[in-house]
Formats: sequence, C-alpha cells, structure tokens
Amino acid sequence: MTKQITNTRIGIYLCDCDGKVSKKVDLNKVKAIIQGKEEFEYIRTVEIACTKDEQAQITEEIEKYSLNRLLVAGCSDPFIMRKFLQMADDQGINRYNVEFVDLSTAETVEAAASVVNIALSKLHLRAEIGCEELSVTPDVLVIGAGCEADAAARTIAKNQPVVQIDNVGTRVIGLDGFPGAFKVRLLEDGQTVLKDFGAIVLALGAVPQYDKSKYGGVELGADVLSLSQFKNSGKDYTGKKISFALGKADGDSLLSFAAVLKAALKLKEKSASEVSILYEDMKICADGLEQDYELARKKGVNFLKYTGEFQILSFPSGVAFKYREPFLADPAKIVADYIVLAEDFVPAAGSLELAEIFDIRTGPGGFFQQDNVHFLPIRSNRAGIFFVGSCHGPIHGTDLYLEIEAVLAEVSVFAKGKVSVPSLQPKVDAEKCAVCLTCYRSCPHHAIEIVHGDEYNNMYNSAARMNPLACQHCGVCAAECPGKAIQLPLYSDQEILYEVKKPAKIVAYACENSGYLASEFAKSLDPELQKDLQIIEVPCSGKIDVIYLLKALENGADGVMLCVCHKENCKFVWGNNRAEQRKERAQQILNQVGLGERIDFVRVAANQGNQFNTAVKAMAEKIRQSGTNPGKVVK
Amino acid sequence: MIVAEGKPVEKILEMLTPYKKVLIAGCRGCVTVCLTGGEKEVGILASQIRMARSKEGNPIEILEQTEERQCDAEYNTKFLANVEKVDAILSLACGIGIQYLGEKYPSTPIFPGVNTLMLGANIDVGKWEERCFACGDCVLDKTGGICPIARCSKSLLNGPCGGSQNGVCEVSKDVPCGWQLIYDRLVALGQVDKMKEIIPSKNWLRAKGPRTYVREDLTLDRS
Repeated sequence: MTKQITNTRIGIYLCDCDGKVSKKVDLNKVKAIIQGKEEFEYIRTVEIACTKDEQAQITEEIEKYSLNRLLVAGCSDPFIMRKFLQMADDQGINRYNVEFVDLSTAETVEAAASVVNIALSKLHLRAEIGCEELSVTPDVLVIGAGCEADAAARTIAKNQPVVQIDNVGTRVIGLDGFPGAFKVRLLEDGQTVLKDFGAIVLALGAVPQYDKSKYGGVELGADVLSLSQFKNSGKDYTGKKISFALGKADGDSLLSFAAVLKAALKLKEKSASEVSILYEDMKICADGLEQDYELARKKGVNFLKYTGEFQILSFPSGVAFKYREPFLADPAKIVADYIVLAEDFVPAAGSLELAEIFDIRTGPGGFFQQDNVHFLPIRSNRAGIFFVGSCHGPIHGTDLYLEIEAVLAEVSVFAKGKVSVPSLQPKVDAEKCAVCLTCYRSCPHHAIEIVHGDEYNNMYNSAARMNPLACQHCGVCAAECPGKAIQLPLYSDQEILYEVKKPAKIVAYACENSGYLASEFAKSLDPELQKDLQIIEVPCSGKIDVIYLLKALENGADGVMLCVCHKENCKFVWGNNRAEQRKERAQQILNQVGLGERIDFVRVAANQGNQFNTAVKAMAEKIRQSGTNPGKVVK
Repeated sequence: MIVAEGKPVEKILEMLTPYKKVLIAGCRGCVTVCLTGGEKEVGILASQIRMARSKEGNPIEILEQTEERQCDAEYNTKFLANVEKVDAILSLACGIGIQYLGEKYPSTPIFPGVNTLMLGANIDVGKWEERCFACGDCVLDKTGGICPIARCSKSLLNGPCGGSQNGVCEVSKDVPCGWQLIYDRLVALGQVDKMKEIIPSKNWLRAKGPRTYVREDLTLDRS
C-alpha cells in the first residue's frame, strides 16, 4: 500500500536553464508561491543546475539539510536528467526519489507553480522504493538437441551450470515458480523429477518440411529432391547438372538462400557439370551471403530469375524447370539431372506442448513469440524464459551468435546465486485482498502467486504477491483488482488521482510506450493545442482504471481520452485490450448518465504526433459543441 | 460463491431520487470476488451517481465504505459512523448482505445496488456459471458429480428430455445439455449403468423457504 512517508525531506531546485525560463516566467515569484506550501525542506533558484559547481553545491546541500528526495524544475534534457540522477544516487537518493519538472512550456508564473506543486505532492505520496536481495539458482536449463542448443549450452556453461535436455528422452511436463527459482518437472526414464533452475533457454530449432502444394503438387523422388534431402544425400554429383529453386517456400528467412549458395559452391568445387539457381528475388542481406553470391557468380553458377509460377517437368532422361523469365516473351526451360526444391521451416516437434506448459505465446507459423514490435527477439512474455535461434522463426547463423550473447547477458544475472532488484512490483494490502485470483489470472507475465501466513491480515490469512523478478510493472493487476488492494509503485491510485483533482479541460491518460511519446512529439507540432490538455503518463494503457476516467470528469474535465498502443502491439501482451474493454465500460457508464460524448479512445504509435493532435482536436471540437461538462461535481 | 450483477443505474438513480446524502456499502466477500460490489465498484458507482445528479441539478453527497462481510453482524457495526451521517444506504452486497445490513440499521432505508444471480463458479475473469441450486437434497452421487437440478434447464432427474440436440439444450445454444454432461462423465468413469437407476421424485420441501438451519451442538446459551 502507498503510505505517506512522514520523514520525506524534499529539496527543490528551480533552474533557469541559463536564462531560458526567466524569459517567460519569474522563478522568484514561482518560489514565493511554492514557499507558501511549506511541504519541503529546502528551495533555491539556480542559474544553471547542471554545471559542475552547482552540482557540487547541491551535493553539499543534500548533506547539510539531510535531503532524501529531490525535485528539479527546469529543462527536460535527458542528458542532464541522467547527470542529476547519478549525482543523487552518489548521495544515496535513488532515482525513484528524484522528480523532474519541465518548465520550458510554462507560460505564466501560476502555470509553472502549479506543475511544481503537483510534482511536489506526488513526491510526498510516493512510496519508498527499496531494493530486494534475492537468492537465486544459477543453473540454466537449455531445451533442444540441435546445433543451436549445443552452441547456446556451450557458451552459457562457461559462466554457470547448464543442464541440456533434448525434450524427447527427457522431457518437460510442468513448470512452477519464478525467474531465479523455477521448479521444472521433468519426465526422466519414466520417472517424474523436480529440478531447480534460475532460467530456461528454449533452443529447439526449426525443421524443414516439404510442402508439395507450393510446387504444383509435385512429389519428391529420385531426381526431384528437397533441399534437406539433397544436403543429407552425400551423393557424388560429379558431372551432373543440378538446378535449385528458391522463393516458393521459405520466403521469409535467409536459411534456404544461404544453404543453396553454399551447396552450389561446393558442387562447383566437386566439378558438377552445371549448377543453376532459379530465384524470384535474391535475398542475401546477411553476413557472408553477398560474398558467397559473388563467388558463385564467378565460379559460373547460373542465376536464373523467374516470375510467377514455374513447372517441374519429368522425362526419362532427366528433369526440367519450365519458367517465365521476366524479360523474355517465351517461356524458358532449364534441363537438369537433379532438381532441388527449397522447403518451409516449421517449429520442432514438441514446441506447441512446451508453449502450453510454460504458457508462452506463439506467433506466425506456430513459432515461439507473438508478432509484436515491442518484444525483443530473445525474450518471451515470461521473465526468465528465453529463446535462441530458429525456434522463434528460422534465423541465419550470424544472428544466432548475437542471440546467444544476448541470452548469456540475461541469464548471467543469476550466475552469482544472488540478485538485487529494485522493489518496483505492485504491493498488496492484505487487509483488502479477497484472494479472488483476478490479478493472478489477468497477469500477462505469470508474476503473481497466492501466499499464506499469519502476517496477511484478512480472513483467509492469504494474499496475492507479485514476484519482483517476474513482474514487468505494467500495472494491469492493479487496475483489475476489485478490492483496490493492489498499488503499483510510482503509479499508485493516490498519485494518479491526485493529478486529476483539478483537471485541465481535456485529460489524456497515455501509455508511456506510445501515447505519451506521441504527445511529446505532438507538443512540438502544435504548442497552442496543448494549452487545455493534461497528459497523465501510465506504464501501460492496461493500468488505466475505469475510475481514473470517471474521476477526471467528476472533478471537472470536459473530456477524457485514452491514448493506447495499436492492436497486437502492447509491450505487456494484452494491456491495450484491457484498456479498450475498460473504455467500453466507462463509455456505457457515461452513456447512462448522458455524458457519453466526453470520452475518446485513440490508438497511436510513438511517432504519430500528428494523429495524436488530430484526436485531441476532435475531442476539443466535441466539447465545444456540447459545452461545459454538466456532470462536474461542485464540492 | 454467490454471484451478483450490478443493477441498471437508472433503477438505482430512481431509488435514490429523494435522498441527498447516501452511503454506498461494499462487501469484501463474494461480491468482491465476482467483481460486482468491492471497493472498486463502489468507487465507480459513486462517481457515476454523483455526475448524474450534478447533471440533473440535484447534487448528492456519497460516502463510500467497504467491509469484510455484510452477512455478519459484527462486521456491519463498522458502518455505524457513516450510517449516522446519511439518509439512505445503497448496498452492493448480495441479497443476504443487503438485508442483514438493513436489519442492523432499521431506521435508515437501504436499497439494492445489485441483482443477486446464482451460486456459481468463476470460469475465468469475467465469466461465471451456475453450479448449485441450494435445493437442500444433493444427488451428485448418482449423477457423476454433475448437478441435474442446476445444470438441466428443466431440472430433470432421470435423463434428458427430447430437446437435447448434439449435446446442446433446446432452451439456448449457449447452454450445454446437463444430462449429456452427466452421461459423458459417467461413461468416462465407467459407471454408465448409473443411468439406469431411477432417482425418485425429489422432496422439494427442502428447497422451499424460509429455511433455517440450527445445530444444537453448536448453539451458544448466552444466559
């Protein structure tokens, strides 16, 4: 629960940013207004707060006045913010206790004082965020038997213990626990065993699969081979004519292109009489592929471009492709002894079962990981479970090594058996927790467990608990909780609702991964439009509670907006879907009382400043037509 | 768990029309678990009513309070300070809680903010299904652990009616046939012979109220 910290000692620095702020706003007047509030320890106006001398002085003042929280009002330069955070951290004030206020857009003394005051109150309301020291298991489970899994296991094993299983002989049948302390149930020689792992790396690879429908129903045979059959045949092709066909299958990865180029070069070395590659688009944009292509051309491999469909013809003496060359009027034909056809890649057997057991999401083609620009390639929707290689879509060799390095960096966090993690996960007020499982079921990251003990002060002696290593701080659980028992640090209900006590005409709750960034961009495009707009940043639109929307209007806003990521583009899997459902609920509630036109839902990406402004304009126009909010409650 | 749904707000607004100061009383029991009457919903409804009344030019003051269980007298004493300040109570507890809180404060009118629906299970977030009718005479031993009273639309005791089509009830395509479920379960258990057993007509008196339940071994003599 967010509790007011009674011993907060806040230092306020009003920075003139080398005279930029005082062009519009007299900082001494701002200081005078704020001084009336007396909710802080120390205040000072500064010429340029980021100079070495000033930083040294602020350091002294932190010591002298025993400051434990800082409020810095001035510019919003990320470089300067970082400098400040470093300085504060050196003085034992962690980053969550430093608040920045941008004064560059403030036009009047009152406006500047108001934003500083809001930040000051929020700093007071903010719960203390400490660090948790956790014991973790350094052991890593690598699942997969192919060369990708071997490479990953070898690399990680240099750093910490690794167990590699093929998921055939020994197979995963269950998973409990959290990152750093996973309990994996394995079926080993018919026996169920429980093993502890800190992290899990999935490296099951992908398998080639010939799909005859891609080649006009042609069946494989003695002289029509799939690419994998050809690679495994080990035959001597001296003096033979071989034609490869690319592009009909495996159009997305570079694997077939790489394999065909390598095979063509080898055939030329072993003096095959003629090697041709039939292609539609040559895809060679990976390390080494372009060199292979150039070399193949030099060595006399024929590159034949086709367009549209081709036919595979069979004669007693051999086989042939009949295809359309883009620049020739008549169909062309290339005769060969062997035809080799590219195949699609599909997830390895058992991938789907594992996805179910681990509850990790799959995407196009049934490969691991959802198709979502916010997800890093190696990360799953669960912290501590990672992907390497083709199990999340076929990848080319050089990418594999980058992925292994990235996974190593992630799992090495557990190598020492101890981790220190900032306690940013939501906190549960056991007294209010009905142990209803709503948060547990709504969490996209499996970060919640139900714990029991006398310390949980309710009739169940139980409460939900968010795991600090599994939680990704989206706040979906806090917004779902029917008992208001869950508060997300930095974004507690108290802090957010404080911001709408005296709201602007339009209040926009904006996801910090999309809407908020778009709003920052939008400011520069149309500063005038921002006058009556108040942006409230949330970590995910899934944190936007129905009550946030209603309270903005109840307290006097004329309109309220939700600025949300595009569909299937939520960093936290389904936060944006929850936001859409909550908007529908709020819409219904407002319709019932005749205020339905005062809410809007807009999907924007971070770079869509113009779209953001268009949406704000539309809201402003609706408000202009409907007049002042008649639902405003005068206290 | 008891499952309830929010009452339409126009009904609630109508009930509260004459009152200027109202307490919305939430419950941390079943109605919190079924997402209808916990602290969150109390806040949402309060905000909605305040706005509606402001808009009508008939402002209302609303207090909000949520306590453990409105079906227990001891917890209901916690509402005293706020009840004394208001001229009506709107309870978001189930029908039991609403009445019981009303009994505690007989001089303050109490109104229901929810419709109490059923005894159900929470299938997933936002989905509830009836499982028990509280008939007072359980037959689950004979029916593979699936209740024909709660899950057959006609509460039939001996097999399905003619309206069972491909496992779906004729009443609605969204209702699985209870007897199909029972049959499938008995087949899976290897106890399909139980279908042949005639379940005699039920003593519906046990389902008829007002019911009381007293355990002499537990009742406390407070004299």
